[in-house]
Amino acid sequence: MNRKKLALLILLGAMVVAPAAQAQIKHIEMRVEGMT
Amino acid sequence: MKQHLGRQSGVQSVEVSLIDGKVNVTPKEDGRIDPGQLLKAVYDSGVSVAEMEVTARGKIIKDSSGNLALQTDPNRSFVFAPNEASKGLEPLAGSPTIVTVRGQLYKKPTEKKQKPDASAPLKLLILEVQKKE
Repeated sequence: MNRKKLALLILLGAMVVAPAAQAQIKHIEMRVEGMT
Repeated sequence: MKQHLGRQSGVQSVEVSLIDGKVNVTPKEDGRIDPGQLLKAVYDSGVSVAEMEVTARGKIIKDSSGNLALQTDPNRSFVFAPNEASKGLEPLAGSPTIVTVRGQLYKKPTEKKQKPDASAPLKLLILEVQKKE
């Protein structure tokens, strides 16, 4: 029973943490002037 | 400029197109890159930035001043320049929803006398909301 509760807690924790960990800057594009 | 940008922290690769004057920067996998630092690096290499666009994903938050912002990592967030798209994201503030947006982070001032300030706080003008998860 305790193992089941622990597994459930880990699963719920991963669901909360995973999306936040995926937050990021994916791409940057610049238009520049004066480049030779 | 390419080498200078490539040395900045968080940069995976840099592609420069001389034909259309575009510079594409791919961040490393953790996505922890500082666009303001890149802007400064470009200026330091003697080239001026006309426009900078980013594609980023993160949570919608309200900062300490009550401004709506995109939090891309625990220590970094970009305040939105208000427009219709940012208004549409307001209900998601504080929710766990992850949003992917494409937006303009910098545009060179149009007035010739106005000197560009690369160190000024960058505001994100949302051009497109790509995904909500």
